Amino acid sequence: MHFSLTSLLLLGASALVSASSLTITIPVSSSLPNPHVLPATSHATLTTLPSGEKEHTLSASLTRSATFVFHDLPSSSLDAQPESYLLDIRSAGDYVFAPYRVDVAADGTILGIWETFRGNPWDNRGTEKYIVDVAGKKQLDVVVEAKVIGRKVFYEQRAKFSPLSLVKNPMVLLAVVAMGLMFAMPKLMENSTSIAVSAFCLIVYISSNLNALVDPEMRAEFEQHSRASPITGATNNAIAGGGFDLAGWMAGTGSPSPAVNAAGPAGSTGRDTSGTARRRG
Amino acid sequence: MRLQAALFLACLSPAAAIYPDEINHVDFHHALLGAPSADSTFFLKPSPSSNASLLYTLSDKLIVGAVNPRDGALVWRQNVSRSANSPANAGLLRGLDGNDALVGAAGSYISSWSAQDGKLGWENWVSGGVVADLELLELEDATASSGLRDTVAVINSEGTGIVKRLNGNNGRTVWEYKDASGDVPFQVSSSSTEIFYVSLQSALLKGFKIKVTALDPLSGQVTRQQILNSEADVGTPESVIYVGANSASPIIVWTDKAQKTLKVNVIGTKEVTSIAIDNTSGSDIRQITVHAPHKLNALPHFLVHYATETGAWAEVCHVDLMSGKVTKVYQLPYLPGQSAVAASVIDANVYFTRITDSEALVVSSASHGILGRWDLQKPSSDSALHSVSEVVAKGKSVAVRSALFRKHGDWQLIRNGQVEWTRHEGLIDAVAATWAESAVQEDLAHELEVEGHETVIGAYLHRVKRHARDLQYLPDWLKDLPKRILSSILTDEVSNLDSFGVAKPVLVATKNGRVYALDTGNHGAVSWGIQAVETSNWAVKAILASPGAATIYSDDGSSVTVDVSTGEIIARVEPSSSKLLAIAVLGAQDGSKLATVGVNADGSPATSFADEDGFLVTTSADGRVLGWIAKDNKIPVWEFVPPSGEKLVKATARPAHDPVASIGKVLGNRSVLYKYLNPNMALVTAVNEETHTASFYLLDGVSGKVLHATTQAGVDSTQPIASAMSENWFAYSFFGDVSGRESSAKGYQLVISELYESPSPTTVVLSTPPAFMIPEPISHMAVTQTRQGITTRLLLCTLPSSNSIVGIPRPVLDPRRPVDRDPTAAEAEEGLFRYAPYLDFDGKWYLSHTRDVAGIKDVLSSPTLLESTSLIFAYGSDIFGTRATPSQAFDILGKNFSKLQLVLTVVALGAGVAVLAPMTRRKQVNALWKI
Repeated sequence: MHFSLTSLLLLGASALVSASSLTITIPVSSSLPNPHVLPATSHATLTTLPSGEKEHTLSASLTRSATFVFHDLPSSSLDAQPESYLLDIRSAGDYVFAPYRVDVAADGTILGIWETFRGNPWDNRGTEKYIVDVAGKKQLDVVVEAKVIGRKVFYEQRAKFSPLSLVKNPMVLLAVVAMGLMFAMPKLMENSTSIAVSAFCLIVYISSNLNALVDPEMRAEFEQHSRASPITGATNNAIAGGGFDLAGWMAGTGSPSPAVNAAGPAGSTGRDTSGTARRRG
Repeated sequence: MRLQAALFLACLSPAAAIYPDEINHVDFHHALLGAPSADSTFFLKPSPSSNASLLYTLSDKLIVGAVNPRDGALVWRQNVSRSANSPANAGLLRGLDGNDALVGAAGSYISSWSAQDGKLGWENWVSGGVVADLELLELEDATASSGLRDTVAVINSEGTGIVKRLNGNNGRTVWEYKDASGDVPFQVSSSSTEIFYVSLQSALLKGFKIKVTALDPLSGQVTRQQILNSEADVGTPESVIYVGANSASPIIVWTDKAQKTLKVNVIGTKEVTSIAIDNTSGSDIRQITVHAPHKLNALPHFLVHYATETGAWAEVCHVDLMSGKVTKVYQLPYLPGQSAVAASVIDANVYFTRITDSEALVVSSASHGILGRWDLQKPSSDSALHSVSEVVAKGKSVAVRSALFRKHGDWQLIRNGQVEWTRHEGLIDAVAATWAESAVQEDLAHELEVEGHETVIGAYLHRVKRHARDLQYLPDWLKDLPKRILSSILTDEVSNLDSFGVAKPVLVATKNGRVYALDTGNHGAVSWGIQAVETSNWAVKAILASPGAATIYSDDGSSVTVDVSTGEIIARVEPSSSKLLAIAVLGAQDGSKLATVGVNADGSPATSFADEDGFLVTTSADGRVLGWIAKDNKIPVWEFVPPSGEKLVKATARPAHDPVASIGKVLGNRSVLYKYLNPNMALVTAVNEETHTASFYLLDGVSGKVLHATTQAGVDSTQPIASAMSENWFAYSFFGDVSGRESSAKGYQLVISELYESPSPTTVVLSTPPAFMIPEPISHMAVTQTRQGITTRLLLCTLPSSNSIVGIPRPVLDPRRPVDRDPTAAEAEEGLFRYAPYLDFDGKWYLSHTRDVAGIKDVLSSPTLLESTSLIFAYGSDIFGTRATPSQAFDILGKNFSKLQLVLTVVALGAGVAVLAPMTRRKQVNALWKI
């Protein structure tokens, strides 16, 4: 009895107001841990094409409880077509919300709410957020949750100055190597020339092949290139061949080894190309 | 797929985004509210726990806002005019100390906003009525739960007065009292025990009787009624000067018609006290205002302020709570000039602050002793309209800060006589703006011109003389040099770019006849503001800037020329002709010689323009597009009338300064697509409101030929349709609906088309992709301009729903992007990537980044001497200016360039040389000895 009385009252109210309301709540999510940080300018809009006297663009401001409330959804005469609204939530360009499709019957009650996708056909509906009860019991106040998709990044990050970046600078590296040679070479020359030079050559080789070592694809390409290139070809041969007199090669005085002959163009001797030399050998 | 597109975007479009350390350096923003209204502006402590107060107002533009009184920065604002259905001329805003809710009303709309952050508490639309008055109930009764205080509103519903008590937490009606007697609903006031509904009852012959109905705050029942015989004095509702709010003994104040006696009634009593007005000034009283404390526990004292044309004085009165008698206690003397008075309360004590043209002083309501007096540092000639004050007592002395609103739209905070900040709220009415050119560069150009026209020897002598003259600046320059070097190492920007034209002043003309000059190089500070024309509706049609001066043309044919550096009015042309629809600016391509031609409402030029080979395209008020040639302003050469049912809404042309760096586009297969570069194209937008279609016509301005026409279906013509044109392309946006076919999309769309020359000379090849779906409406479009047009262009779009300005890089919008397939190798080489229907606005495109730039109606772009940089200025409601570098600042040493590192490197190299040189020398000597 009591129940029927309240439902009667409700009916009366609905006859008077003849419209329902839509409340959109903002759930706590990983991208928006605290919905209360949204700026006060955030608002939700319902948009459709104008038809008749009805309002076709509605706007709702963000409330203290981090919700958007549309009071009194527009209604028209009962023979009118239901309206299909696009629901957008905009938050000063910062947080991005998924757009929804809101279908409203002629009497102002909500028929259904679905997620929708921009740039897709309008009948391509996504997740269902609310659907009217088939039994016909119309709900006057519908509450759905908004969906935060992401956050916009407005600013460019400036590269920070760090001493490490200075060291990474090729110019600085060159200078360091040159300095190293300047100071270390004479001393090393005195002790054991061949060790120092082979160490240096190893450095040159590794630095030139560094990229190729990283990526197999690149390595393949690099090897293809290196077949044509006499310098690296020579170095490869030298490393592979083992018994190569580096010191002699560096000094450019020449040696009987065919591999050294192959390295001719790389040194200042300028004799023959590596390919022909090997074929001959 | 979207990710892929995004990746491509990241590689393609050079990020033109702003760095966090450039905020307020390259851009500026005036977040405006409008003129604060006198009775809805107050200081308020938003939270009971904190002692800090904010300055709240409801402006004439119906914007509720909170301003930090420390620096004048906007804390939050809400525009209630969008929600107020019926046009209201004035809004109401009420607040209570420690109550975190402001209640505002405009028209039929009542809303409650959180005082701290401006979020909506509740909102209500009163059906078929207008809110006449609003009061927050300060008293806490037994029924009030903890939380926000309730509101009492008086609603004028077609002659019927309705008093409603609304719950403070949810806005629901607690009770309602209907007054069907036909009296004019006037105001509401409350005391600690009763709510008083004040209405005006028409007397038999003429005038009004003031009727006071006392209501029970709990139930809304009438407890008693009183009618005051005021019909001889009160002719209109405006005759009642004051109905006291929330003080311990609320009062009603009015005067007799001759303004000789002041009549005061303590609400709820029948007695009317008459006080003789002691007018010694000799001139008529222009305005009487009453300033009383708004707190329940404050002493029942009030101040009556009398202003004449030339001066003002004030009288302080006390109300005797027991007898209801009102007595005059003391007087603040007559002073020539303007003065503004405000009342403030500390505990129960009432203080009055009076600010005159030259000083500010504070008195207590109890006695006439002056508690504090400060000379104003910069006396203003601009008269003060109203002020609110906050007094702080420190032992025996007091400190005061007053927010003073001046007639010319400046809102100032004066703390102990010092102007702390000024908000130029008058800028909210900006209707036109232009970049001004300073006269300094003009002098040099003039001198060079002189040299160019003389003989070789004469020119040489002239130049030597000029250089000799310039020597006088040398000592100053030398003196500045160390400082400049030091500062250039330490400051953000590597070099001062002002000399490259990035700090141009902007002239802004406002609706109420004022002209402001803003210095874009100095955070957009107002250099000067003048009242150019005495009007309330200045229809500015064009502003022409010439070096050192600018001329502002209005629709009645009048014009004002102002000096750019000082704001002096140099010349004035009186109104002549009938109303002009527009004013066309004619000029050579380099912009040297500019002339104006008025356009009548029928589209015809008001005068025949002298330019021989010139022509003009105009639109008429009835929606036709007309083409004219020089010397004939009677018969148009051609006429374009949109099809019947269509209404012309907008016509766009290429900007006057639109240089084209490359006339063609090299394709992946090494062939060239030549751009169709017609400088005389016009894009005409016409809508059909019945069938919901929008048509876009591309016209040739010389022949009137329609180069291209397209019609979009399902377009909402009530939403903004923006368009822009540059080089060989044009763009437009609109709200498109499914229009019967559910398979199409619903939402905002952006369409861009490019025009290319075709092998046959008569046709134009058009490249139009399917539209881009965009997340928001665009209300205005513009294109960035650079000096030579080499830099990538940005399509500047104003987004009214998120209050921002976005610059979409042109390459992203390339219409030749492949649809439904991946790009071929040749296309990828051109930088084309697959078309995706949804174009999301990248955060880095937002020129306004996180700023809330509201109400922009127009965006201007101007080239600078730096090719990379384009200046942007937006106005309409807020004022926003920034520098855009669409292809990054390639010709400026930015902040990334570390001068310190350069200096250190040079020092290190020097040190290296110093160390190595002796070593090498020694080695060489050693080598010599070895041989």
